[in-house]
Amino acid sequence: MTPEAPIGGRRRRLYRKSVCDNGFVAARRTSFGRDTGLQARMLGTMFLLGLVYAVLIAVLFAAGAGGVLLIVIGGGLFLVQLFASDKIALRTMGAREVSAQEEPLLHATIERLCLQADLPKPRIAVVDTRMPNAFAIGRSQKTATVCATTGILALLEPAELEGVMAHELTHVINRDVVIMTVASFFAAIASMIVQFGFFFGGGFGGGGNDDEGNDILVVIAVSAAVYAVSFVLMQSLSRYREFAADRGAAVITGRPSALAAALVKISGSMGRVPQQDLRAASSEMAAFYIVPPAAKRAVHNLFSTHPPLEARLAALSRLETQLQSGR
Amino acid sequence: MSLRDALTGRHKVKGPAPDRLFALSTAYVALETEHQVTACGVAGIVFQPLATSDFESIVSDMEAVVKATASDLGASIETHDDSFGYRWMVIRDPSLEDLVVAVNGVSSALVGGGYGERVLCAVFAFQGPRDPKIYFIYNYKRGSWYPFVPTAGGASAGQRSVERELQIKAQVGRELPVEPELERWFPLWGIPF
Repeated sequence: MTPEAPIGGRRRRLYRKSVCDNGFVAARRTSFGRDTGLQARMLGTMFLLGLVYAVLIAVLFAAGAGGVLLIVIGGGLFLVQLFASDKIALRTMGAREVSAQEEPLLHATIERLCLQADLPKPRIAVVDTRMPNAFAIGRSQKTATVCATTGILALLEPAELEGVMAHELTHVINRDVVIMTVASFFAAIASMIVQFGFFFGGGFGGGGNDDEGNDILVVIAVSAAVYAVSFVLMQSLSRYREFAADRGAAVITGRPSALAAALVKISGSMGRVPQQDLRAASSEMAAFYIVPPAAKRAVHNLFSTHPPLEARLAALSRLETQLQSGR
Repeated sequence: MSLRDALTGRHKVKGPAPDRLFALSTAYVALETEHQVTACGVAGIVFQPLATSDFESIVSDMEAVVKATASDLGASIETHDDSFGYRWMVIRDPSLEDLVVAVNGVSSALVGGGYGERVLCAVFAFQGPRDPKIYFIYNYKRGSWYPFVPTAGGASAGQRSVERELQIKAQVGRELPVEPELERWFPLWGIPF
């Protein structure tokens, strides 16, 4: 709330404060409360990821096996991933940037959301497939691209489409592409070591120098463990980011139930539509979709990038309750 | 957005920025005398109507107040819901000054009810010697203005004259806080006036 808020407004707020002085008063300034639990779980996951990577680095240095080279190669890969991944992803998806003349409704919907969320306008692209889905990529607000499939444009009502687009814009606001790229970086390195390690490690092991052979075996073992653990942690981080994006969408649009309706519609029709193209394109992209392409009967467990539909609907319905009760 | 907000995925919708709405009254003097741009006597304010009981009561209270003052001044007020789910309160009054005051009254009522973050923008209609419609749009989140000029007959086709908008920016830039980033000059199609 701005300091310039009119006196009438201030008086009204003070009145509310005295009526419901239960510690949640600060949150009443917006239409929704905070989800502290979600943020705590997310930070906890990030902390654990960091810890795992610290162990990896420590072992790498202890082994002294080409540390500098590794960092140079890894750094290069990281930069490529960070700066070129959006273009590569858009190309593999067959996404085509569309002008306001081609997709006036999509453009107008996103423009209004940008006004509301105080964002610069992202690039808008469309993938020509019947599979209803949407995703956002780009490492910053200025370079972001929001992409929808022709299937989702045909399937959803305007209010539902607005909810989905607000979800994608929240990914942009939260910088989820950068965060997931950073989080996946060491996992990629670890898997690289495992692959090359088996390759070279076998040769070293037979070379007679037991010490070096053992070192390399240790590095491989640790790398494999790092990869396994960080994979699970990353998937759970991705699920938390999804919850945060659902929440952000509800806050931006003020209509949690519209997004819930969209999710039900999308996942319902996902099973009916043949799903070769999107899923075949790239499984790494799955984390950025609004609903994962393989969600038809997927077992939702430690290894899925998205929370189960029921959990997302429950979270949205809690938001709707908060909104309705004015807490 | 800070690093901490990005990491925790926390996102709050901004409320209105410090108010620069009244700058239009000052800028209008120059617009009218130097550039022959005149007000059409109509303005609108756009907000997201929330489907909650207290929101509806705040809006109807506010509507009653604005209507009462409006009829005193010989003005009229009407509401539209557009196809994107936003609500427009359209105020007609021959005096630009009164329009600005009325629009400010609407946004203050929403801010006072705790729904300030639902207010999107205010739109004021003008016409120039060669332009049938020039809109000045006030972005509440940023407290900044920008011109929006749909080309003649282009409003339905989604055509705007960016050249004309940039000329207007140069003409009023000194009196009006104009949005510096061009990618935030969002068009509004289907303005109901």
